[in-house]
Amino acid sequence: MTSNDPRPAGTTQPSGSKAALAAKPGEAGIDPRGPRFGAGITAVLLLTVIGLGLDSAATLPATLAERASQPSFILFAVIAALFAWGAFAGIRRHPYGLFFKAAIRPRLSAPSHLEDPRPPTFSQGVGFVITVLGIVLHLTAVPYALVIFAGMAFIAAFLNSVFDYCLGCQLYVLLVRAGLIRRGRSAV
Amino acid sequence: METVTVLLGLVALATVLGLVWRARTGRIQRARTAATSAASDESSITIPGAAPFGSRVTLLQFSTEVCAICPTVRTQLSALADELDNGTGAVVHVDVDVTSRPEIANQFNLLQSPTTFILDGNGVLQARIGGAPKLNDVRAELNRMLNPALV
Repeated sequence: MTSNDPRPAGTTQPSGSKAALAAKPGEAGIDPRGPRFGAGITAVLLLTVIGLGLDSAATLPATLAERASQPSFILFAVIAALFAWGAFAGIRRHPYGLFFKAAIRPRLSAPSHLEDPRPPTFSQGVGFVITVLGIVLHLTAVPYALVIFAGMAFIAAFLNSVFDYCLGCQLYVLLVRAGLIRRGRSAV
Repeated sequence: METVTVLLGLVALATVLGLVWRARTGRIQRARTAATSAASDESSITIPGAAPFGSRVTLLQFSTEVCAICPTVRTQLSALADELDNGTGAVVHVDVDVTSRPEIANQFNLLQSPTTFILDGNGVLQARIGGAPKLNDVRAELNRMLNPALV
């Protein structure tokens, strides 16, 4: 399978050519449709969480064990775990990405260009943080926390999938400015 | 029934947000400076360590490493600069990675990447573009700057 061929390193890139849009030289790019496909699945699952959890969102069960065994919560926790997988193992090892590569991509035409895997990996991290916040607040019996955080994550996943919205493009500069992300200059 | 309404409302909200974002991103926003003939030191932009600017126009792009469209924009803008430049050094595209340079991001109040500045020959900000620029608009703007007599 030739799907993840790295672009030739150090070659002069023809101006305006989409072939020049790959990741850093020497690094394998990914098919940009893969993360959008995965975000579509995530968006549907998050809608399901909201659908399952909305009726009981106002009056949560009294005990922690009951709150943790609600179907909406279990599905939400699975989504959080999948975000963690994408964020820490990298988007290329994410199950949806592997499924896309094995089952969907062979049926599609070749992508117009390959993309750096770091932006979608960063987006997975953002999704992980949002879902973990929802989990913590729900377990501490905050009403509506589960559906509100699922709703926020849904909007991000939907925009990513349908509009090719890049969360990292919007957020990362603000994180850099807030001093939350520091890199040595030598690393660049 | 109520749940269905909420779910449909959420999808509708996300769709509206997406359409608004798509309409707004990449628009050229002219700087609000009065027509400055002479460049003063405070209004001319310099980036330590960056490549030399163009003698008439500079497309100054700020990128980060976690930005899927930045490489695309870089390729498009440098091709546009090459096309208008004719090898004279008049129109230059400069890309600055601000991932490790928060002071630059703060200095210019960058809110997203890529953000692109259009500078005149004195390095004075003429316009800024947040997100992926609409190439035809940028081309028109540069032509206007390079050929003021035609306007």
